[in-house]
Amino acid sequence: MQHILLIGAGSMATVHAFSYLSLSKIKLVGIVDPNSEKAEPLAQMTGVPAFVTLEEALDKLEQVDIVDVCVPTFLHKEYVLKAALHGKHVICEKPLAGNLADAQEMIDFCNYRKVKLFVAHVVRFFPEYEKVKAHLDSGSIGQVGVVRMSRVGKMPAGHQDWYSNPDLSGGVVMDLSIHDIDFLRWCFGDVERVYAKGLRGREWNTKQLDYGLVTLRFRNGVIAHVEGSWAHEEFVTTFEFAGSEGIVDYDSSKDKPLDLKRRESSEAGGGVFVPLSTVEPNPYARELQHFIECIETGADPRVTAEDGFKAVEVVLAALQSMDSGQPVTLGERE
Amino acid sequence: MKIGIISVAHMHAVGYMYVLQGMPNVDIVGIADEDRSRAEPWAKQFNLPLYSSYQELLEQELDAVIVTSENAKHHEHVIAAARAGKHVLCEKPLSTNLEDAQEMIDVCERSGVYLGTAFPVRFSTPVAAAKKAIESGQIGEILAIKGTNHGFIPEGWFTDPALSGGGAVMDHTVHLADLMRWFMETEVKKVYAEYDSRFSDNPIDDCGIVTLEFENGAFATIDCSWSRTKAYPTWGDVTMEIIGTEGILHVDAFGQKINVYSDKVGVKWDPWGDNMDEGLLRNFLDHIGQGKPPLVTGVDGLRATEAALAAYRSFEEKRTVVLR
Ligand SMILES: NC(=O)c1ccc[n+]([C@@H]2O[C@H](COP(=O)([O-])OP(=O)(O)OC[C@H]3O[C@@H](n4cnc5c(N)ncnc54)[C@H](O)[C@@H]3O)[C@@H](O)[C@H]2O)c1
Repeated sequence: MQHILLIGAGSMATVHAFSYLSLSKIKLVGIVDPNSEKAEPLAQMTGVPAFVTLEEALDKLEQVDIVDVCVPTFLHKEYVLKAALHGKHVICEKPLAGNLADAQEMIDFCNYRKVKLFVAHVVRFFPEYEKVKAHLDSGSIGQVGVVRMSRVGKMPAGHQDWYSNPDLSGGVVMDLSIHDIDFLRWCFGDVERVYAKGLRGREWNTKQLDYGLVTLRFRNGVIAHVEGSWAHEEFVTTFEFAGSEGIVDYDSSKDKPLDLKRRESSEAGGGVFVPLSTVEPNPYARELQHFIECIETGADPRVTAEDGFKAVEVVLAALQSMDSGQPVTLGERE
Repeated sequence: MKIGIISVAHMHAVGYMYVLQGMPNVDIVGIADEDRSRAEPWAKQFNLPLYSSYQELLEQELDAVIVTSENAKHHEHVIAAARAGKHVLCEKPLSTNLEDAQEMIDVCERSGVYLGTAFPVRFSTPVAAAKKAIESGQIGEILAIKGTNHGFIPEGWFTDPALSGGGAVMDHTVHLADLMRWFMETEVKKVYAEYDSRFSDNPIDDCGIVTLEFENGAFATIDCSWSRTKAYPTWGDVTMEIIGTEGILHVDAFGQKINVYSDKVGVKWDPWGDNMDEGLLRNFLDHIGQGKPPLVTGVDGLRATEAALAAYRSFEEKRTVVLR
């Protein structure tokens, strides 16, 4: 039995909390969130105590094996380092960190403390994405030439609006496109070169829209295009993998196993959109279960901490390209 | 109006001839093609005289010619037609280098004839409706555009750089570059591209992503890949996702279709949209008839070609090309 302490009580923490409840041999034991309006309801719904600090939780709880960090990105490092210091394995939401120095420090410290660090790049656990990976591996579409990935929606309304502050969230490419960037790295390996354009820092962009178009050139030759948007109305993900012998595509706005439309559109909350999943267990639960199995068996995880680092590295190269207006070759980054 | 066709190297010639034959007060006078064998079946089908030299065709009584030769021959054919005093509609891309394009424009001007570039997609009904929606301010200021122009891998001279001047980047960047310029009434300022040959063994680029930045500050990407496989239900596309300050506009020029799942013909998209070639030709003929330039001019053709050529240069140099 693994005992989980959840950090944060926002959108993602809620998804993780209910995923834990659905899994066997896993026990959610507490929730840490200084914001009691958030912590209390989630604690009540999940039947576990709420705490204001990690230290308090570790002090009062009988057993904690894993700390799951679901706070805004700029707070990841603080909790990951604290958890490692106390000898707990760590699951950390993506992006691992907003900069590479922090990401490296988190990885190094977890290594030093001999605890595992998992980065929650959950797209690798979405069945539609697993399927496309299987097609690539089986060669059913031949040599892949051009890939198109897209992930669009509204800017989420997070705790104290942290998503809208690029210094805190890193912007749409860091927060959202990183899912697709990580998935592409899983499929094609390392990125050679990045070119990107975005709405960041453009003075006439007064509506807090964020939008990025990123072109990736992989070392294996594949060209990929990644659209990330906080300028759309509806959350939609799409992909298209075009190869010499076939095309695989998917569009969540068309391929809908379940579609719910309330007559009076009474949007709840407005927090980060978490796609309704029709698979059991849901991809988040499958991801968390996989990480916990890796702890128990010592197996290598599907997503390593190094993968988490490299995804951030590609995003930062994209942001650098937006700023410089030039392609950025990885390994030559400033 | 009397029209001549110079070359059927580009299969659009056939589509144009179908449209022209259905138009009242329009006569196709003949086809000129130095390769008689490829033109003969069409001359027979449309019941037209076939000339082995374009000079011979140009000696006939003509108001205008349509140049549908290999890209690298556009220059020679357009200049000859202009010097013979005929208005010219030239297939895209206008030319394979900028010097040629400029000379074509200059000679047409000096000869007192109009030069049009065949960008039919401007006349696609959904695209024209998008232009109207943008003009009426429905999506506010345009911030960014995500474009695709996919297609099959073409055959014949298209994959011979000496005749085509380039592969997918040349063939497919120009349509969207033109539409984006038209939608925003601004010019391309910066260009970068990643491209390669990954879909066949042809010695030419067959896929890529071109990124553009415009003088109005908007940016865009164009997927120009010849990446449609034989099993794909259609041969190509023109799509744009247009991000504006007040809204988002999605355009699919080939979205007018029904889906067919047939044991006989397979899985296919069967289009029901208007024929955009008809709009293109009608506009060209109406305008030259009224003594004014067509909607899509030679300068439009040059600007789009300029973007495609900059795409090649950017990738060779691995840096952004600044045009203006
Ligand atoms: N994998 C995915 O699909 C996915 C989806 C959404 C978000 N995320 C990631 O999850 C993380 C959290 O995002 P979210 O949308 O749940 O955020 P949120 O704004 O909804 O929730 C953040 C929570 O953190 C709490 N908090 C604030 N300061 C804290 C502190 N110092 N200590 C402890 N808790 C604190 C807030 O009270 C709030 O409950 C981010 O890194 C985000 O990028 C991942």
